[in-house]
Amino acid sequence: MLDSCDGRVGGLYVHVPFCAQKCIYCAFYSEASSGELIQRYVRALIRELELVAPALKPRTIFFGGGTPSLLNLRQWSEILSAMDRLNLLGAEEFTVECNPATVSLDKARLLREHGVNRLSLGVQSLDASLLDRLGRVHTRDMVFRSFEILRRAGFDNLNLDLMFAIPGQTLEVWRQTLREALALGSEHLSSYEVIYEEDTPLFQQLQAGRFDRDEDLACAMYEELVERAASAGLCQYEIANFARNEKGASPKSPHSLPTRACRHNVNYWRGGSFHGLGPSATEYIGGVRTRNWANTQRYCEQLEQGKRALESREELAPFARAGETAAFGLRMVAGWPFEDFQRTTGHDLRREWASDMETLVRRGWGERSRESFRLSPTGLRFADAAAELFLR
Amino acid sequence: MDAAHIRNFSIIAHIDHGKTTLSDRLLHRTGTISTREMEDQLLDSMDLERERGITIKAHPVTMLYRAKNGEDYELNLIDTPGHVDFTYEVSRSLSACEGALLIVDAAQGVEAQTVANVHLAMKQNLTIIPVINKIDLPHADVALAKQQLEDILAIPAETAIPASAKEGIGIEEILEAIVERIPPPKPTGQGSLQALAFDSYFDTYKGVVTHVRVFNGELKPGMNIKLLHSGKNYEVKEVGSFNPKPYTRPRLELGETGFMTANIKSAAEVKMGDTITDARNPAPQLPGFKEIHPMVFSGIYPINTADYEHLKQNMAKLQLNDSAFVYQAETSVALGFGFRCGFLGLLHMEIVQERLRREYGMDIIATYPSVVYRVTMTDQTVKEIDNPAFLPEPNYIEKIEEPMVKAFIICPNEYIGDMMALVSEKRGTLDHTETLDTKRVMLHNLVPLGEILIDFHDRIKSITRGYGSMDYEHAGYQASEMVKLDMLVNGESVDAFSCIVHRSKAEGRGRALALKLKEVIPRQQYQVKIQAAIGGKIIASESVSALRKDVTAKCYGGDITRKRKLLEKQKEGKKRMKSVGSVNIPQEAFIEVLKT
Ligand SMILES: Nc1nc2c(ncn2[C@@H]2O[C@H](COP(=O)(O)OP(=O)(O)OP(=O)(O)O)[C@@H](O)[C@H]2O)c(=O)[nH]1
Ligand code: SF4
Ligand SMILES: [Mg+2]
Repeated sequence: MLDSCDGRVGGLYVHVPFCAQKCIYCAFYSEASSGELIQRYVRALIRELELVAPALKPRTIFFGGGTPSLLNLRQWSEILSAMDRLNLLGAEEFTVECNPATVSLDKARLLREHGVNRLSLGVQSLDASLLDRLGRVHTRDMVFRSFEILRRAGFDNLNLDLMFAIPGQTLEVWRQTLREALALGSEHLSSYEVIYEEDTPLFQQLQAGRFDRDEDLACAMYEELVERAASAGLCQYEIANFARNEKGASPKSPHSLPTRACRHNVNYWRGGSFHGLGPSATEYIGGVRTRNWANTQRYCEQLEQGKRALESREELAPFARAGETAAFGLRMVAGWPFEDFQRTTGHDLRREWASDMETLVRRGWGERSRESFRLSPTGLRFADAAAELFLR
Repeated sequence: MDAAHIRNFSIIAHIDHGKTTLSDRLLHRTGTISTREMEDQLLDSMDLERERGITIKAHPVTMLYRAKNGEDYELNLIDTPGHVDFTYEVSRSLSACEGALLIVDAAQGVEAQTVANVHLAMKQNLTIIPVINKIDLPHADVALAKQQLEDILAIPAETAIPASAKEGIGIEEILEAIVERIPPPKPTGQGSLQALAFDSYFDTYKGVVTHVRVFNGELKPGMNIKLLHSGKNYEVKEVGSFNPKPYTRPRLELGETGFMTANIKSAAEVKMGDTITDARNPAPQLPGFKEIHPMVFSGIYPINTADYEHLKQNMAKLQLNDSAFVYQAETSVALGFGFRCGFLGLLHMEIVQERLRREYGMDIIATYPSVVYRVTMTDQTVKEIDNPAFLPEPNYIEKIEEPMVKAFIICPNEYIGDMMALVSEKRGTLDHTETLDTKRVMLHNLVPLGEILIDFHDRIKSITRGYGSMDYEHAGYQASEMVKLDMLVNGESVDAFSCIVHRSKAEGRGRALALKLKEVIPRQQYQVKIQAAIGGKIIASESVSALRKDVTAKCYGGDITRKRKLLEKQKEGKKRMKSVGSVNIPQEAFIEVLKT
């Protein structure tokens, strides 16, 4: 849990809703940028930071998007110095997402100087024709080049995002991408299957029968991923996340996280609180989930009037909320230590979810010990089905 | 109204020849409904009727008409359904009338139900007024239709009135013909009230609303009446007619048609075809009509076992308005507690299921329909079996007989060969062929009822491009080599998928079913084996391979709500599947099996 001891929220997510070009599978809120709107957004974001700062003491910060690296040097330094002024810097983990096409040494250095200590590169594929097929703006070369730049700027904690089961991707192509990506030696790897989100061009192509899904192939790719990542020293700690466990750091318990696990994300899966700023960002504080307007114009207007730009609010009944927390926590390889779950939700897995755990154990999907419950490697593949069971 | 100025008639025809459309015209022309209220197929008031464009229930309406002779007449019209399943609605309606408007589609000519319905009307000695409808159609052939009336039905061609219900042509002539040709009702000569109960529906406030035709005397509120069949007495609360909505009248006189309420709480108390008479001075029974028996049976089960009681209540409610539908409790190994239901035919079955789903909001699954087999045991006892699950083991059975029907098909000459092939595919035999005119024949066949249920009619339609039609009547039982086909899912027999089939067809059906189930059962986390078996011997086998994982998508803070909602929806969806053993079988599987 990232709540600071003084009760202030310890997680901060900032959404940067701009991309150079829209990828065909993407359902995130982002749009092709116009210089003027970006400038207006930066001012609005600073306003929003000012509004939440008193209740915030970030231990982890994550700038996602969209494409945060699309902001120019001046815009970044405006945001970072505002954060400095508001006493929001100094987080233990500060991640910024970058597109390989928008990385420069200057920008990387600037981020580093202000305490950004983790960068995440949206690679998705290292196959030229698939990159093209997905509508990505960068080339494979840019990936290698920007990785190099980031290392040169001093970043020792880098993540790569890779996607598999892309239509047209063969097992051989996937192996090749994995091989090249792992050879870079990043500290962290996020790798997940393509999702067909409604309202995306990719979804429409699927609907129109332009290609078929091949579940068996997707499964083979997943197996390939788990295997290769492990032999490259990346330890799976969540369904789609792998991280290095650095020597010297001795794990406290057998299930504890690898040292390079993304703690910001772990907080999500553990039902922790976090602030979410920027258009379409979600935040979760005291069991209440709110979401900002997914409309940059509207977001700016609201903040220019000094108000947060909340579009919706959701507050589940405590038991339902605990069910949600249980369900999403199981995505992690470590599962749920019973004590932690009880501390977070006020409910006891061993009482209210006993039969669900038993069902999963019987199916060979779950492993229960005295202290915790977690999904088995097979169970992890069916994390959705398992999660469904735990919802209340 | 005095009897001399009353005319009672039904509108009969083959399906879709325009009965309801013509009824609308008559209502409009007589001012019963205004132009403003006019809408297509106004009398088809049930949602299902409107959606399918067919009439399911007979609809009575009372109209007032000032004839050319300057006198006012009360015309009681009953619009009837055309589909074979609902023939009983036609015969009931006819028994309340002196005449019938026989509609013939000018482009289609005389078809099977035209013949069947004319025979019904003739048996009751009704005056028939033939109407050649849809003369506005470009390929209308009025002369041919008239010729067919003479040749096939022995109805003089010159009595036919050309009309277009759609364009409003011939409406006046039809109304005049009704007044001139149909005889007015005559008293029966008995000393007191005789009214025929020919239909009913249920009203939550008024109880059973009985459709009546007064044959003798008069019926009015406050009277003490007796229902001859049950022997029970009631006090009449209300009488009235339809316009087409029910409205009350001070009395129903000799010859009039309308409705009666008498605080009758259960539809079972009023037997259709019963005579209503004066309790203090009862008159004898009217002819009435034959009781109807369900021909097709199928199990109906709630998806959610907790809905059983609720389903039971709703079935009772539905039955109040559909006395042809019968049900009784049964249990199934695969499906739990449910009901064995009897229907007049497949369309009737579909309609009942759809009404339960839509009007009553029930989540149900239905098992494969079955006819009633007559099983003679080795100890010479005879059992009637309408549920494959109850078919005794073969070694106890001496013989199985199946119900047969006399099916007659009318089709253009060039399709005789195809029709004969179809009949023999359906295990039927051609008895004889009758030439109707230079272009068409009528084939008289003997076919097992079980074979014509599913797609016989559709096949005739598609083979003949719509120019062939079929009707049937029941023709007793015949010994036949029937076997029970079982479907197994992961080794467990799913009784809902079992059926009794002829030995010659068992294997083909078993294979088709296994394949269909393989298509509709979603991949699960383990392999699902599907097998078809006859008497323990596996004749077909398929398998649904195991799902090896879910989508391993990423999921961060902003995705949680949406993902949770998705999972909640899936969870809800699974509740609506039946789990057999450990396999979740979706509702569609049960529906698809019906179609196989
Ligand atoms: N062109 C033309 N179409 C007509 C005429 N009369 C009816 N129809 C059409 O024929 C179709 C069937 O009409 P209905 O009145 O529903 O027929 P029905 O005999 O009541 O049908 P069932 O109750 O299902 O037996 C509809 O599409 C009507 O619009 C007509 O005179 N001319
Ligand atoms: S760069 Fe990222 S956020 Fe932008 S469109 Fe592509 S996938 Fe979506
Ligand atoms: Mg009709």
